[in-house]
Amino acid sequence: MSFIGEAWRRFMFLLRRGQMDRDLAEEMRQHAALKAEKNIAYGMAPDEAQHAAQRQIGNVTRQMEESRQSWGFPAVESVWQDIRYGLRGLRKSPGFTTIAMLTLALGIGASTAIFSIVNTVLLRPLPYKDSSRLVHVWTVSSMFPEFTLGQSIPNLQDIEARSHSFETLATFEVRARNLTGSGEPEQLRTVEVSPSFLTLFGVHPIIGRDFRPEDEQRKDGDVVLLSYGLWQRRFGGDRSIIGRTIMLSQQPWTVAGVLPSGFSFPGNIDALVPRNIPPGNRTERQAWMYTALGKLRPGVSLAKAQSEMNGIAAALAHQYPQDATGIQFPLVTLQDDATRRSKPQLLALLGAVGFLLLIACANVSNLVLSRGLRRQREIAVRAALGASRRRILRQLLIESLLLAMAGGVAGAGLAIAGVRLFRALAPAGFPRIEELRTEPVTLLIALIVSALAGILCGLAPALTITRGDLNLPIRDNSAASSAPVRLFSLRSFLVVAEVALALVLLTGSALMAQSMMRLLRVDTGLTTDHLLTGEMTLPKALYDSKDSQHLFLERLLQALQARRQFSGAVLTNSPLLTGSVTVTSFNPALLGSTEKKTTIEIRSVTPDYFSTLGIRIQRGRIFNERDTAGALSVALINEAMARRFFPGQDPLGKPLKFDADDKTPSQIVGVVADTRDSGLNAPPRLQAYFPLLQNPSERVYILVRSSLDPAAAIAEVQRTVWSVDKDLPLSKTRTMGEVISESVAEPRFRTWLVSIFAIAGLTLTLIGIYGVISYSVRQRTREMGIRIALGAQSGSLLGLVLRQAVVLTVTGAVIGIIGSLLLMRLLASQLFEIKPGDPVTLIGAVLLMMIVAVAASWVPARRATKVDPMIALRYE
Amino acid sequence: MVRSAGKNELLPGTLEMLILHTLKNGRRHGYGIAQRIQEISEDVLQVEEGSLYPALQRLLVKAWVKAEWGTSENNRRARYYTLTPSGRKELGMEAENFDRVVAAIARVMRTV
Repeated sequence: MSFIGEAWRRFMFLLRRGQMDRDLAEEMRQHAALKAEKNIAYGMAPDEAQHAAQRQIGNVTRQMEESRQSWGFPAVESVWQDIRYGLRGLRKSPGFTTIAMLTLALGIGASTAIFSIVNTVLLRPLPYKDSSRLVHVWTVSSMFPEFTLGQSIPNLQDIEARSHSFETLATFEVRARNLTGSGEPEQLRTVEVSPSFLTLFGVHPIIGRDFRPEDEQRKDGDVVLLSYGLWQRRFGGDRSIIGRTIMLSQQPWTVAGVLPSGFSFPGNIDALVPRNIPPGNRTERQAWMYTALGKLRPGVSLAKAQSEMNGIAAALAHQYPQDATGIQFPLVTLQDDATRRSKPQLLALLGAVGFLLLIACANVSNLVLSRGLRRQREIAVRAALGASRRRILRQLLIESLLLAMAGGVAGAGLAIAGVRLFRALAPAGFPRIEELRTEPVTLLIALIVSALAGILCGLAPALTITRGDLNLPIRDNSAASSAPVRLFSLRSFLVVAEVALALVLLTGSALMAQSMMRLLRVDTGLTTDHLLTGEMTLPKALYDSKDSQHLFLERLLQALQARRQFSGAVLTNSPLLTGSVTVTSFNPALLGSTEKKTTIEIRSVTPDYFSTLGIRIQRGRIFNERDTAGALSVALINEAMARRFFPGQDPLGKPLKFDADDKTPSQIVGVVADTRDSGLNAPPRLQAYFPLLQNPSERVYILVRSSLDPAAAIAEVQRTVWSVDKDLPLSKTRTMGEVISESVAEPRFRTWLVSIFAIAGLTLTLIGIYGVISYSVRQRTREMGIRIALGAQSGSLLGLVLRQAVVLTVTGAVIGIIGSLLLMRLLASQLFEIKPGDPVTLIGAVLLMMIVAVAASWVPARRATKVDPMIALRYE
Repeated sequence: MVRSAGKNELLPGTLEMLILHTLKNGRRHGYGIAQRIQEISEDVLQVEEGSLYPALQRLLVKAWVKAEWGTSENNRRARYYTLTPSGRKELGMEAENFDRVVAAIARVMRTV
């Protein structure tokens, strides 16, 4: 209590400080008068008496000062004093303040922006209830070694029965469905889910009802839950939609409810429908097509749940050796699964931006040091007037903190703009981008980063400046002593550090840029110019048999080929160059090979596929219009497959079996060249082709070559499709160029960002080297003057200065190369066809750095040669 | 500093106690306090202004004394300090403590 009372009185005294001050001054005057009176009483003359009294009292100002320290909050007040002093100092040197502030703003802004992105994407929990307890329950099978699979229904039922880790299990599968009836047909992204799906996410429909277990049985017809977006977009947010019927895939569905606007999983979805498990899949243990999610019980750790799953997998493998040998059920949290792909990229960006911040700090540190050394006389005067070393150190630190805070405010603005820009420019499909916004937490981060930066760039110079005898500069008149920049001074250390950091940034961005260029230059083995693509899904209700699908495909192909605007038109069942691929398990023993079980890529195409895409035929023939339903099943294989399974043999005429009791195996009729049809960065796989008309598919990709303007050509393709089926929407219509560009959007985006950071880092380093060398030249003006007076040529003086820069840069470069070799290994997984330690890249980066160093020191070096010896010697 | 004739410094906090003691029987101004201490101690303790006024400010902040302007016996404006109840309590505590410490020091000094 007394403490609070005292603080209150101190505060009141502070407010009445003027009155207090006047009282004290008056009081001390009276005191002196009384003393003088006493002196007079002892027999002194009045004048003498007064002087004696003053002498006895001593330094009144100082005594008042000491008395004043008893009131108020002396510590706070002196800090406030330092702040005001610091602000005044910064205002007085606007050039220094502006450059230092902008440099810090750049570093702080960039790192705050990237950190808030990392925070949103990687660290913040997913926007679902209890999201930390949500996990994927995958299957990994030795039959498909490189793939992660969903669950089969029997396995999932066993997991549900035997495990105790889960509160809820659910499955989902994304499937495109066409919405028809009102307005233009539209392909929707629907999700087929188990009835427990929404329970697992803790979500309830905002109107209508959730799915019930009986919805799966479809006794009362099909029901659908609309997403909030679809409800608003297509049905105007009409609440009477519940119970109404909509046409999905040419079938009537009753709207059971509408999802809340915040909920969307996986990705953007338009509608939820109950899953419909075909009878065959209810018992087939190898139908791993249901993506399963689990919600862990509270308190069950991932590790504990995983070990339980390992036990169940082992038991199933033992029980069903045919179907379950070599299976595992890895659990991956939803959070990890969502950010798996972007994590290494974001961490690389965070690293790059951290380096940029350090370079900015080193630069500002250097500026602060130069300024401090220019102020040594001022500091000496302060020391002489009684300021302690601590006080001076604090003053200098407060100044750099002020600088950092100013930089931080500008940086926060930069970060807000940066996050917006990132959101606008990030490649499509970047996880959680829609949640990205500037938040108070971003600004808090900027504040913390600023404070750290302030200490980082202020402490070392402050310690250096206040080291040694503070009074020396007053006594030592020759401020411009002729000491060269020492290799082990703080100044040199900062430049070396800057060079090393910038070099790492530079190699990182050079590696990414080269990887990007190699990726774009890769030969896919496909001719994709003037090629357009679009996809569609044949609704099961209308195309329920292979025959009806076959008929449609034949008519569509004829219609497309009849259009004179198209110089080529083909159909296939898999997308091209999007990174997705259709594979199947393959047992080479069925071909008489001794190779292990593996997976091969399969694709069904119409005959012109090879000529349209420019795929070379190596042997045999390609498909023709006679390879159709009812005719002999035929297949093509690629060179990789021929080499692997038919070394030194002729594959033509051999049967391609996927199953030991396959009665009508496809006969291999030809061998075609390898292609990278799944994506630029995926090396060619073992691949087999089948005629689409012998293997009709409900999922169809159209590829059309046309010299028309892409928009016109796409409209033409859509019209052609509608001429065959007026309700069939074509979706994802793009040029092949756009597809390729989209497939490299992520690495391109990352490369750009890192390159920008590297250029910024390099520029800062250039400024840093320039600053140090010009400081050194200024310090050595006298020495240079003497050298010129003694007949030194300008070339040798130039060399003298440049040598300094080169020594510092080479030292930094060596450290930077070592750092690059160590750090770039972390980038390896993101690089395409270039090694992290690529010598050409490293040498190139070092050369660029040397050029920058020489360029930065050229101007000060020229200045050194122009020193007028007479002025230099008079310079004292 | 409060200097004794031998230029030895007093124990910290002692000056505040002495000031409070001089105010025990009524108000005094700063000069009066210094004179009184010097007088009672028979010139052994001389209070310097540089110590007196900061000490008085500290006592004000602690609210052990209060100050008010008045007129001195020879018609001068002077700032008078008065003991507050809490100051009186503090003085009692400090005096007691002081006696204990002095007695303890004396005991230490008597043993060889």
